[in-house]
Amino acid sequence: MENIIEVSGLAKMFSNLAALKDVSFKVKKGETFGFLGPSGSGKTTTIKILTAQLAQTDGEALVFGVPALKLKEGSYRKRIGVLTDNSGLYVRLTVYDNLKLYCDLYDVPYTRIDEVLDMVNLKDAKKKVISKLSKGMLQRVTLARAFLHKPDLLFLDEPTSALDPVNTKHIYKGLENLKEQGTTIFLTTHDMNEAETLCDRVAFLNEGKIQLLDSPKALRKKFADNTITVELADGSKEIIDRGAEGAQTMYNYMSENKVVSIYSNEPTLGDIFVEVTGRKLS
Amino acid sequence: MIFSIKRSFAIFQKDYKDVSKNLYVTVSVLMPLALAALWGMDGIDNINIHYMLFNMTLCMVAAYVQCCLIAEEKEKNTLRGLMLSPASTMDILVGKSLLSFIATFIILVACAFLQDYKPENLLVISLAMALSTIFYIGLGTVLGLVTKSVMEASVIILPFIGFFSFGSFLTVLAESFPILKVTEYLPNLQLIEIANKVHSGASLSDVWFNLAVIFASIVVIFAIAIVVFRKRMMD
Repeated sequence: MENIIEVSGLAKMFSNLAALKDVSFKVKKGETFGFLGPSGSGKTTTIKILTAQLAQTDGEALVFGVPALKLKEGSYRKRIGVLTDNSGLYVRLTVYDNLKLYCDLYDVPYTRIDEVLDMVNLKDAKKKVISKLSKGMLQRVTLARAFLHKPDLLFLDEPTSALDPVNTKHIYKGLENLKEQGTTIFLTTHDMNEAETLCDRVAFLNEGKIQLLDSPKALRKKFADNTITVELADGSKEIIDRGAEGAQTMYNYMSENKVVSIYSNEPTLGDIFVEVTGRKLS
Repeated sequence: MIFSIKRSFAIFQKDYKDVSKNLYVTVSVLMPLALAALWGMDGIDNINIHYMLFNMTLCMVAAYVQCCLIAEEKEKNTLRGLMLSPASTMDILVGKSLLSFIATFIILVACAFLQDYKPENLLVISLAMALSTIFYIGLGTVLGLVTKSVMEASVIILPFIGFFSFGSFLTVLAESFPILKVTEYLPNLQLIEIANKVHSGASLSDVWFNLAVIFASIVVIFAIAIVVFRKRMMD
């Protein structure tokens, strides 16, 4: 499958501080790729380099097969959507007027405004002035603006950080729709549940380096401790090794009709991150 | 450089809606009008006084409003949104300048009316005013791009308002300090020279050099604006 993003040996120094050190990864077309890491790990720096807002110190960053700095050209800008911490809105204008401007800039019909507002559950706020919106609503308007023009590649930096669970679910649904339409999504987050829900593959970034890169399922399998937990009728729980001996124990419990529930002991992405990096996500 | 009228006009439309609810723009636009009304009532009929007010209007409206519009875009992180869109540098700069240009034109005409100033050659004066407006918009753009907030922009513009509004005093100082003779080529002084020549019956062919000097200033200031703008596209 075609690679939309190819990064190799990427490094970024801010004065004497290394924000990224030798980062390499590829993102395939149509994939939702999660870039996970705690605050200050280099996630936003990577997005800024990939969207031509920042120049790397070393290494190569290709987007659509061309150096990321070429994204400054209008034809490439039409193909990307960006939501970062510095995506601002015109506070004295309405939601509609903000999105209308971007419809004109991206040559998108105004009918699209209702579609994107529906995707972010803000259809009723169309005529509201931006300064009157809550933080979560603002986040949803900036998100709507990022995918207003149906970009081929969408960069989302902590897209649901200010949202409540109901609206987060709406956003997930919207992003799934975009993915079905073939949009490649590059997502940074420190929310491991979000990564598990949305991402085909995730990369763990810590102190400017990628520590792990695989699908959430493969990572959980890799770090699973090969045991299952059995909850018994008397309320106790027993951890049983997978294998012949464990199978015999299970057989005994089941023969005696003692088993209430069985579940595998797979770690969460958060557990894996802590194990690999020794750091907590926050 | 690619230019899209549609994109520039979209930015202009947005600015028009936005600025109508903006207090600092309203105040800065009203100040030259108030002075013009005052001088008009006093019956002042002196070219240098008229043009001190015109130069002040150019600073207060063209340069200051433009400076604040750009600075606010930076402060609110909306400029980066425009920069990341398919709009080219030219689309954004032209779109952001249209409102300041139209507002300046209206205020200059209103000031002339209130001061009862009737130029002998309207075509030449209009051309000189239009070129001067473009120069001051370029100046405002540069200052807006180098500042981080509207507050900072409001402070940084003050010496320029003083310098360009009362710049004719520099020519007096130039007699003692010959190095200041270079200030004679400033657009504000060129505008006054054009006005005095026109008052004495000069035509377009008599003021072409002065117009060329203002035009050269425009080229220089917009070259700086484009360089600074492109630098601001990246962190």
